Amino acid sequence: MKRLINIISIWLLAFLLGPEPSMAASKTVRFELAASTIEISTFYNGTTVEVTGSLPTDADLLLTLSGPKHDVELKLKGKMAGLLWMNKADVKLENVPSVYQIYTPEGTSSEFPGPQSGIGYKSLAREITIEPESADKMFIFGEYVKLMEKSGVYGINRGSVSYAPAGEKRKNFSATLKIPPKMGADTYRVEAFAVKDGAVAASAAKDLTLVLSGLPRAIASLAFGRPLLFGIMAVFIAVATGLIIGALFKGGGGAH
Amino acid sequence: MIHMYLPIAGNSVNIFLILGLGGFVGLLSGIFGVGGGFLMTPLLMMFGIPPTVAAASDSNQIVGASTSGTLAHMRLGNVDIMMGAMLLVGGIAGGTLGVQVIKLLRAMGNADFLIAVTYVIMLGGVGGYMFWESLQGLKSEKKNPAGQVQPVKKTAKEKSFIQKLPFQYTFEKSGCEISMLLPLGFGILVGVLAAIMGVGGGFIMVPVMVYLLRMPMHVVVGTSLFQILFTCVNVTIMQAWSNHTVDFVLAVLLLLGSTVGAQIGTAVSRRLKADQLKIMLATLVLLVCIKMMAGLLMTPAIMVALKGGH
Repeated sequence: MKRLINIISIWLLAFLLGPEPSMAASKTVRFELAASTIEISTFYNGTTVEVTGSLPTDADLLLTLSGPKHDVELKLKGKMAGLLWMNKADVKLENVPSVYQIYTPEGTSSEFPGPQSGIGYKSLAREITIEPESADKMFIFGEYVKLMEKSGVYGINRGSVSYAPAGEKRKNFSATLKIPPKMGADTYRVEAFAVKDGAVAASAAKDLTLVLSGLPRAIASLAFGRPLLFGIMAVFIAVATGLIIGALFKGGGGAH
Repeated sequence: MIHMYLPIAGNSVNIFLILGLGGFVGLLSGIFGVGGGFLMTPLLMMFGIPPTVAAASDSNQIVGASTSGTLAHMRLGNVDIMMGAMLLVGGIAGGTLGVQVIKLLRAMGNADFLIAVTYVIMLGGVGGYMFWESLQGLKSEKKNPAGQVQPVKKTAKEKSFIQKLPFQYTFEKSGCEISMLLPLGFGILVGVLAAIMGVGGGFIMVPVMVYLLRMPMHVVVGTSLFQILFTCVNVTIMQAWSNHTVDFVLAVLLLLGSTVGAQIGTAVSRRLKADQLKIMLATLVLLVCIKMMAGLLMTPAIMVALKGGH
């Protein structure tokens, strides 16, 4: 009898204190990319990547697509002699991601969690440093964001995440990531955040790799690997093209 | 729409748009003898090409357009090779000196301000003077029996000064006997200005040849293209070797358009009088000047730019 009571006690303890697989899983965010590698070939003009996954029903999803961090040298415009707008000073932003896009769900205010969460432009600004230090970092970074949004590599895509019910505790989501042609060959990070009560409750991440293939790969390899030969070849082809066109037009472009 | 990916520029472009752009600038080079760099580079930047790649790839396409245009003008007897060679030697020396001047200006500060002011003064001054002078020429219409406008005649004082200079040479195609020091000296001046302003120098060289060397306009166009060809061969190789900024795909697309455009431009230039050519070029230069001034006076939409552009 005593042995039976001990067994029952141990089982009860294990049940109360041990991990609850189904409960733990229901609080995570999971997702898959339709493609994890994209080839940039001769006629490439950007593409899209479908993202599908699931998260807890009572949380909101934020998706980010970010590139590797690097330093960017900029010219800051200012007025000379109170009249002329021109490049007045050189500044350098350090630790800036090459790409930064955020995707938010429909029908919500989509307020980002606090700057400590690492989501949003304000969070990025906290991690960036500037040279010279006396420069107005927030203003200059704000203008840099405008420049990058214009080329499509930065952006906040509100209402671009859709939900569908998937049970009592979880819901499915889907989104389409925009991959503009300006995103070059590199490895990028897709992160999904489940946000609840203004804080990140769970997150997951996957890599998305863009690689050059075919003619672009051959040209880049020659241009960076054998640059002098590439330059001479570029000149010869230019001259040859000029000579061929000149020969083709010989009949029509004769002398007086 | 068909797009092509540019691996060095790191962007894709509409093929027909780039072909059209190349054709337009090639047309200008065939008509006026300018390389078009002062137009092409800003236009490429507008279509998302990084500034350094735009400038370097543009030099590559100018090689093709200038080859095509020079050949066409050579068939017409419009290229003074000796004059072009003298201007080229001076231009290379001047360009090297100009790079040092830029370094000095940057060390002093406000280099960009001085460069912008130089641009506006040169474009406005050259364009304005050419416009006024060719308008006068069109009004008076002094023609020789062959129907061509004579080059501007030298005064007696100028003739005396020029004849006293050493190294006199008969430049047959240009129809003048002058010292080799003159084209060398003017070439140096153009080279310095071109280095400061970051252009090939065609729109400065053409007025120098017309007004200072007193060459006939049709010989000016062909000779200018000849000189630009060699300048841009040098720039293309140096940019590819040192900076890896020549985008071969972009250059070929521009070339296909510009070489055809240059041929058409040459045919068009034959049908125009010299003063008509000058007034059209003057108008183009003045339009670029106005655009530049507008850019300097209007508040920009974005207060930063990537370093490396114009």
